[in-house]
Amino acid sequence: MFYDRDLSFIYYGPTRIVFGINSSRDIQAEIEALGCRRAVLVTDPGITKAGLLDRVVKSLGPGCAGVFSDVPQDTGIEVVNAGAAYARKCGADAVVSLGGGSVIDTAKGMCVLMKEGGKLEDFEGVQLLTRWQTPHVVIPTTAGTGSEVTCMAVVLDKRKGQKIFLLENYNTPRTAILDPALTEKLPPLLTASTGMDAMCHAVEALHSIQREPITDGIAMHAIRLLVRNLPICVNNGSDLAARGQMQIAATMAGWAFNNSMVSIVHAMAHSIGAVAGVPHGIANGILLPFGMEYNLPEAAESYALAAEALGTREKGMGEIEAAESAIRAVREFTVRIRHPQRLSEAGVSRDQLAQAAELSVSDGAIIWNPRPVPDSSDVLELFQKAF
Amino acid sequence: MAKLKAFTQEWMNAFRRRIADSKEYREIAGNWEGSVSIIINPDPARGVPETVYLFTDYWHGDVKDFLVCDKAKAESADFIMSGDYIRWKQIARKEIEATKALMQGKLKLKGNLVYVVRNVKTVNKVVDLLGEVDTLFPDD
Ligand SMILES: [Fe+2]
Repeated sequence: MFYDRDLSFIYYGPTRIVFGINSSRDIQAEIEALGCRRAVLVTDPGITKAGLLDRVVKSLGPGCAGVFSDVPQDTGIEVVNAGAAYARKCGADAVVSLGGGSVIDTAKGMCVLMKEGGKLEDFEGVQLLTRWQTPHVVIPTTAGTGSEVTCMAVVLDKRKGQKIFLLENYNTPRTAILDPALTEKLPPLLTASTGMDAMCHAVEALHSIQREPITDGIAMHAIRLLVRNLPICVNNGSDLAARGQMQIAATMAGWAFNNSMVSIVHAMAHSIGAVAGVPHGIANGILLPFGMEYNLPEAAESYALAAEALGTREKGMGEIEAAESAIRAVREFTVRIRHPQRLSEAGVSRDQLAQAAELSVSDGAIIWNPRPVPDSSDVLELFQKAF
Repeated sequence: MAKLKAFTQEWMNAFRRRIADSKEYREIAGNWEGSVSIIINPDPARGVPETVYLFTDYWHGDVKDFLVCDKAKAESADFIMSGDYIRWKQIARKEIEATKALMQGKLKLKGNLVYVVRNVKTVNKVVDLLGEVDTLFPDD
């Protein structure tokens, strides 16, 4: 494998991983290991209803300073500000987030405000912080976002109608507890689509212009785990061994893209999500093979690696042939896990594609794409193919 | 022409002129509006005894004020980028790339990342033009 002679990078992944069925019962000990005493628990109404919150509150025991469960589907700065005010009132010195991406991002924002004071708007930016923030333990209830190990938080500023980004190494979660038992009840479609988000993180890390040997290795193993275990989880959600491997895959893919970044597929998924409300995982799952086809002329080497991980690279196959086999394999895989194949199946109408294409070329992720995207017409063509 | 001493008003004027004279910049930067300040952390061992504050202002392809300024003026900008002297020098010499340096924490950005990334071509062009200014760095 060849990398540029002037390859230079920083790999960063400081999160401690605690894995095992029912490992969330160790939450109290994990909080204490961070030198903290009382944690505020952040979650959403769905998790509460599913009974997962009760389990964790019980395990936290006297270490639970309070519960903030008002996190909506897409979190906003007013939610984060309210959460931080609540945490202060409770006298919490740590944060535990129990949920998916929106809950984890809310908790990340709260960690900053609990340490630094002020309002979330004051911290919009990149690597502004100069010291570790409030300790944060993440207990994910999906296997996909990878947010439990990333330094990034995205929060909606409703007033300005835009998302604000906080990218802070010093605010990366300290600990992630991966407890497969908490993902047992995820329905098949959500299992498939969150899993495809993770697949997308891994493949996009591999083809990113920032790819490097460490993240390549991590991404490849994430793909291996995904290919083996996602179909099992879709068919039999209570297979906790497979659920566990899926969580590990999602976390590994999180490490890969936190360092190497994502690109065109995510740019398009963000945009079609904003324009037509397509859930992130579903958009990624539909668009991934189309994005790979587009990038093939510039990313054959990356996709040949993906083919090795997917198990489709046969002896004697050249790079291009292997890369093409990877694209086919991803497509077949999405069929196998009964994932939607077309945007038209996901509630998108054709007249929304042009706006989404326009948005995609100004999405941050596009700058890491291996094949330069000259303008929105290329993206529109991809959207039309995927429609 | 003699090299210009980095971070002086004369150097800022030359930088401004480079951008103003660039047709390509004017085309690329049509959407950009807003000021950017650059804060260079002191590095006495390399000839930068105190913090340097620079203020630059851009408006839809035009360039406005380019000033060596004080802390208050720098902090009034729409976007504030700060970092160690050695990083800024590497960027000016194109030894490292600005976006990558940001992500890796070698530079800090206060402001809307989405806006900056959306206009990354403008940012890269400004950095390119900075590299064309014949500069004498404090530790050269
Ligand atoms: Fe994603």
